Amino acid sequence: MLGRRSFLKGSFCGIGSLALASLLRDEELRGATRNPLAPKPPHIPSAKAKSVIFLFMAGGPSHIETFDPKPLLDKLDGQSRPASFGDAKYQFVESDAKLLGCRRTFQQYGESGLAVSDLFKQTAECIDDIAVIRSCHGHKVVHSAAQYELLTGRTVPGFPSMGSWSVFGLGSESDSLPAYVVMPDPDGALEAGQPMYTNGFLPAIYQPTMFRPGATPVRNLDLPGGISLAERRKTVELIRQLNEANLASNDDEFAARISAYELAFKMQTEAPEVFDLSDESQNTLSLYGVGQEPTNDYARRCLLARRLVEKGVRFSVVVSGGGPGNKQWDAHKNIEENHLRMAAQVDQPIAGLLKDLKQRGMLDSTLVIWGGEFGRSPEAQGGKGRDHHNLGFTMWMAGGGVRGGQAIGATDEIGLRAVESRHHFRDIHTTILHLLGLDQDQLTYRHLGREERLTEIQGEVIKGIADV
Amino acid sequence: MISHSQPAHHVCVAILAILSAVATSPLVLAEDEYFDYERDHWAFVLPEDFPVPSCALGDHKNWPRTSIDAFVLAQQLDRELGPSPEADRTTLIRRLTFQMTGLPPSPEEVDAFVNDERPNAYERLVDRLLANPRYGEHWGQHWLDVVRYAETEGFEYDRHRPGAWRFRDYVIQSLNEDKPYDQFVREQIAGDELNPNDHGSLAAAGFHRLGPIRRNAGNAEVAFSRNEVLTERTDAIGAAFLAVTVGCARCHDHMFDPIRQTDYYRLQAFLASTFEHNVELASDAEKSEWEARSKVVEAEVNEIKSRLKTAAAEDEERILCELKAAQAKTPAPLQTISSIKHDPAQRTPIHLLDRGDPNKKLDHLTMRPLGVLLPEGAEGYPDDLSTPRTHLAEWITDAKNPLTARVIVNRLWQYHFGTGLVGTTNDFGVNGDAPTHPALLDYLANQLVEYEWRWKPIHRMILLSSTYRQTSSLNPVYQEIDPNNRWLSRFTRRRLAAQEIRDAMLTVGGTINFKAGGPSVVAPVDQELIDLLYKPSQWAVTPDEREHHRRSIYLIAKRNLRLPFMEVFDQPDLQTSCARRESSTHSPQALEMLNGELSSELAEAFAERLERDASSVAGDQVRLAYRLVAGREPSDKELLLSTAFLREQSLCEFALAMFNLNAFLYVE
Repeated sequence: MLGRRSFLKGSFCGIGSLALASLLRDEELRGATRNPLAPKPPHIPSAKAKSVIFLFMAGGPSHIETFDPKPLLDKLDGQSRPASFGDAKYQFVESDAKLLGCRRTFQQYGESGLAVSDLFKQTAECIDDIAVIRSCHGHKVVHSAAQYELLTGRTVPGFPSMGSWSVFGLGSESDSLPAYVVMPDPDGALEAGQPMYTNGFLPAIYQPTMFRPGATPVRNLDLPGGISLAERRKTVELIRQLNEANLASNDDEFAARISAYELAFKMQTEAPEVFDLSDESQNTLSLYGVGQEPTNDYARRCLLARRLVEKGVRFSVVVSGGGPGNKQWDAHKNIEENHLRMAAQVDQPIAGLLKDLKQRGMLDSTLVIWGGEFGRSPEAQGGKGRDHHNLGFTMWMAGGGVRGGQAIGATDEIGLRAVESRHHFRDIHTTILHLLGLDQDQLTYRHLGREERLTEIQGEVIKGIADV
Repeated sequence: MISHSQPAHHVCVAILAILSAVATSPLVLAEDEYFDYERDHWAFVLPEDFPVPSCALGDHKNWPRTSIDAFVLAQQLDRELGPSPEADRTTLIRRLTFQMTGLPPSPEEVDAFVNDERPNAYERLVDRLLANPRYGEHWGQHWLDVVRYAETEGFEYDRHRPGAWRFRDYVIQSLNEDKPYDQFVREQIAGDELNPNDHGSLAAAGFHRLGPIRRNAGNAEVAFSRNEVLTERTDAIGAAFLAVTVGCARCHDHMFDPIRQTDYYRLQAFLASTFEHNVELASDAEKSEWEARSKVVEAEVNEIKSRLKTAAAEDEERILCELKAAQAKTPAPLQTISSIKHDPAQRTPIHLLDRGDPNKKLDHLTMRPLGVLLPEGAEGYPDDLSTPRTHLAEWITDAKNPLTARVIVNRLWQYHFGTGLVGTTNDFGVNGDAPTHPALLDYLANQLVEYEWRWKPIHRMILLSSTYRQTSSLNPVYQEIDPNNRWLSRFTRRRLAAQEIRDAMLTVGGTINFKAGGPSVVAPVDQELIDLLYKPSQWAVTPDEREHHRRSIYLIAKRNLRLPFMEVFDQPDLQTSCARRESSTHSPQALEMLNGELSSELAEAFAERLERDASSVAGDQVRLAYRLVAGREPSDKELLLSTAFLREQSLCEFALAMFNLNAFLYVE
């Protein structure tokens, strides 16, 4: 049992609100309690990352059109895949499909001189902060299973997501906001649905908060019609008094319930300020692309992600793509049309986020991850599109201690298969945990007789990605 | 001792692990040879017939009412613990009523019990509750948690299984009629083989289809998908009936338990010829009308789809909308039972798979139950067995299977006391918890078999015990020795589960609809959540609003959209077997209870009821409110605080506050 002093430290770090202070009177009555979301020290003290922003490019962005130039593929355009590259199984494309060259132009950026395509011109300006992992691979070539694997490490639903694991491992630094937030694309849902983001078998405190589009992203923060905040204050006060009327001095659980109501009230009064972007300078808004199309929506969500990090939110997912396939990065029909449109929505916001984090000195403690559930096939689908492709594709990481300006691993010369320093999703997960200071073997939870972990069987920390 | 009046089942196992005593222990074991210590793990040995402790009960010699109490007290005394006093009657009736029906007692029921001066008042209460049909609705939910019940397939399409709700009704009905558990298990594992013409048995066999299943467009990976299905179904059997984590042995021999990788596939082999089967209940006329209507829709859908194929990208969205509208006209599914069938022609040959990879087949394996529970060198069954699952079910429900009865009485115990005698209710293996009260566990397991596997006699035995009737107040001395109350020196307080909170709110507000059974209700939910579904049209809200106030067990169990209210209060994720619900405490719960639509709506109904049923004097309204939500009168302090509040604030806000009280949300 923790003493009262550590209770205060634990659940209300950064206390300063008058409302809360007044709610806390009579605290002698309350004795001690434990906040299950109180911050916990990482396993690796030298870790730099405290928060994660995952820029989830749903539907599967092409590695070939973005961060992994393949000149030989362009030369082989229209031909069958040379047998020397081996076999591959796609969701739709049959073995007689022809290779499709890339129509984008690549240019070298930064001191590192890494090549990035013209779809991500602005992000490319930050390339010296980015480690491009060109040798990712996953088990599944269909959306739902691959999305489960990307988010939870398993190809079936029912397992906790990396966001839930991170909060389970490190707790929350925020006393007025949820610790783990998902901001879906307002265009609609993804194939794997909500189960890919959830806490699985971890307790419900580790569940994500799904933000809604609009001014009040969090459910239940608005008071029901006709009730004023002052009135509701009195109701919450009555609940506290009545609950305390029967409280024994050593009752941890009931004390935790009382503090949950106090936190809820704080959330209700303080969270809306975080959602209100009007105190941002015009420079910042323009940096992200807020207020202009087609970037406005993704820019707002990226900017909100930064504001959440400032408030101590541990893990945010900012989703690009939702609804029918062509509104995701799922370019079956026409890779050019789809990727030009999708990249135009996110390039500036992503660049804006990286630059903003850096100039505010937050990039070091914020790990930014970019990627989707797979890449796209070197073969054409229906002439101009590309099919799903899980054998080799690109993700990247920046900030949180990552050494930028480097490419890790490689696919073969047509982008079919990861061939150098291959990294399965479980290595990506191991690395994310590692950068947060979490050891995959210590971060376990007993479920159905097994000590479960995010990485199922052991993953590797990607070599050289950071100095930690 | 196990009753021998039970008809002996002719299963391949007559003699079980006891044989191990004569086994030799070579240093290197063949695949199905076992070391003695492996066979001697407590859970793999038949329950013993321990004598009921009778001596040295000291100061507490008058405390035990039942054998259960003697077992419990003996272990308490060993640890310098003792029982707590009996709880008062208002506490007991609230505890009993919630636990057996999932609902609060009415003020009238509380008064009647508190004033009942007959010596057997408590027994009468227990018997009344055991006979209440609300019992099956509440305990049915426990079972649905264990068998990963949901009505949809999960993954991207999350299709709704036609008639899936019939499994839920089968469970409720079986529990209400106190169906013997061995029969209950046999029907779920092999109902289609045993009673092919009985609708209940066919629905029961739908057990195998309750889990999530992945379907995808394009190049199907047939072998891989079939393997996923078989894996999911095998794991469910292991967890639900045997509390053995067989899933751990899919890729390699079990790390802790004597379960070889071959055991896993030999168990799976019982399911090799099991396939989905929708049993249609419609008449021919209904069927042909349905088919005609479906054809029209199908033609329209196909026409739109063909246009979509050649459409320019900018037209795509509009055509997709058209497509959705056309698909929405699909007629409601015909009356169907979501069941399975034995289809030997399609049988999947079962092989040992290297690291569980369906592309890496090793030896062909025949069906056989777990080797550690069989005599050394026991043979398997031939692949052409005509009723494979019946054989499996008979092995599981054989009174000489050391696991089955223990596993289920342990679950019952957990739902009564909060924690099982074996804390890991889904894992009786070496890595699971050892039983705190091994003799009591065996006693209860033997009693279950003696009472023909019926649950209600076991419930009754537990509810009548002094152990069960203790107060939940903390005794500081006992608390120091046994902070988690594993030795049962008091009753463990518990928070109501998600469905109990909702049902109780409906009950105290007086708007609950007790209609039982039938297709599930789709309740309204925020449009934003529906939009997060891949197919938002799947959430077709039940038009009749009275249906929205039915008990929670009748709400649709959809994998990709759980009601936020239920989710926030630790409803399981509906993906895998849930042995025990978490009970977490966090602020989104407070926000849901304060600002959520459901609580606002039900607080209003509750306020109306208070206005209607109590006088307009604030004190009367407060008294009635406490009697409804807490099953007791308010204390002076509570009355004072509440009436002071009502002088300035609305009755509706007061009603809302009542839903947020520990006195409402917890059972002492």
